[in-house]
Amino acid sequence: MKIKILSFFILLTTAAFAQDKEPVFKKRVLESTEVDFLTSYYDQNGSRSAVSGGIGSEKLTDVASNIVVAMPLNDDDVLTIDLGISAYSSASSSNINPFNSTGASAGGGGDDDDRVAGGKVVALGPSGTPWQASSGASRSDQLVSVVANYSHSSDSRNFIWNTDVSFSNEYDYTSVGFGGGIAGLFNEKNTELSLKVNAYLDQWRPIYPTELHEYSKYGSNFLNQGYFNGVTVLDQNGQSTANYLPSAFQTINAVNRNSFSASIGFSQVLSKKLQVSVFFDVLQQQGLLSSPYHRIYFADKANFYIGQAQYINNYESTSNAGVYKLADDIERLPDSRFKLPIGARLNYYINEHFLLRTYYRFYSDNWNIQSHTATVELPVKLSDKFTVFPMYRYYTQIASKYYAPYETHLSTEKFYTSDADLATFDANQYGFGINYTDIFTASKVWKFGLKNIDFRFNHYERSDNLKANIATIGFKFVMQ
Amino acid sequence: MINKIAFVFFTALILQSCSSVKEYEKEKINDPDMKLSARTAERYETSFQVYREAAAGANGGKSGGGCGCN
Repeated sequence: MKIKILSFFILLTTAAFAQDKEPVFKKRVLESTEVDFLTSYYDQNGSRSAVSGGIGSEKLTDVASNIVVAMPLNDDDVLTIDLGISAYSSASSSNINPFNSTGASAGGGGDDDDRVAGGKVVALGPSGTPWQASSGASRSDQLVSVVANYSHSSDSRNFIWNTDVSFSNEYDYTSVGFGGGIAGLFNEKNTELSLKVNAYLDQWRPIYPTELHEYSKYGSNFLNQGYFNGVTVLDQNGQSTANYLPSAFQTINAVNRNSFSASIGFSQVLSKKLQVSVFFDVLQQQGLLSSPYHRIYFADKANFYIGQAQYINNYESTSNAGVYKLADDIERLPDSRFKLPIGARLNYYINEHFLLRTYYRFYSDNWNIQSHTATVELPVKLSDKFTVFPMYRYYTQIASKYYAPYETHLSTEKFYTSDADLATFDANQYGFGINYTDIFTASKVWKFGLKNIDFRFNHYERSDNLKANIATIGFKFVMQ
Repeated sequence: MINKIAFVFFTALILQSCSSVKEYEKEKINDPDMKLSARTAERYETSFQVYREAAAGANGGKSGGGCGCN
């Protein structure tokens, strides 16, 4: 069946290509060079940090910018270069090493400066808490990316092919991608069929939670060496102990993550005011699909801590200001995932002042996740130049079969994660956008005329109390 | 599943025969707000959603890979 669909698709797009024999007036695909400057600010907060095993601060801020340059190479060909940089600071990822360097023994000097109060050891050495950011090196990172896309349109503009390459890098992750696609227009350009394929060959450079890193480095005697030398480990009663041994943990050898996707698109003009499109994607991912710094605490294993014993009893509360639980393992997920999303857009031109943009997606994968996404946007044209668009998005998902909340997995399980992003939840996102367009590009900067300014703001709320805000502004310039 | 998808796909294909809007009648269809794709400035929202939610794809953009996200 799959082969039949693919054959039919290729036949149709080839037919579109064949139409190019007709002599037609040829308008340039892109009249002149266009430059987009985009920047965004994102902040979030929540209480289910995956780095801390499913509880803890998820406070995060991210600033991202992109410059996208689209250059016409001739009448038919366009080269687009997209350069991006994004910088974030995150309480959650700072807690890969949660232990703030306070107290004499924090430096690993071996001084035993702990004291006993009320029968419990009060550690004056390193301490941390899942509810606050630590000074760990992983509290911030930068992502840089570049994408180059080349597209060619046929003389009739009824057939387009394109190819792209991409590269991105951050501290512990590198990605190289390539892909291509074809699109055919039929029926007086009222119908479009497209096929796109992509491959990403990604590689992790795993970083592990500090306590597990030390265990992997020094073996079963690790509590007397390296970071743990001179540091007091506490049991559930707040007593000093030497019993902490995360024997379930093993470092990861296979660090590649490969993703292969194919997307079929169909769009149709239904009337002078109504058009619709349908996207059908298939995606196969292989390799390291878990995050090596996500902690797991097993329900059937004893608890161990570093920090101040008086906070152990209220560890799961935000009032815990000074104790951090040591991991039993990192999350473990299968090395294969098959994703199947199908989406549709329907846009309707109501009248000169109002339009309606809608989107729906159904998603399922073989980790038993299912989700629905629905978006509605109502652009209101205030004048020739200004449009405002209120928008709303609803999202709901059913958890992965490998997900369980904080400290509920059992050590006998094969796969486990406490990453709330894979849990059951729903989310509401609402916001607005303002668009300014000047087709005459009256405002100029050097050789470029300002064609468009786009601003949008959205607030996002998940049913598990994760909240986020995102603001984006974009400027489009056209070379004169 | 694949049969259902094929049914939707070909039903949609058949719809094309119902309508043929001429180029000179496409003033409203060609309005920039009528584009059947995400807005350029929407990319950062799509990006954070890919991190914070398990689903991705079927929106004309990436459906996975290229980041340490879900």
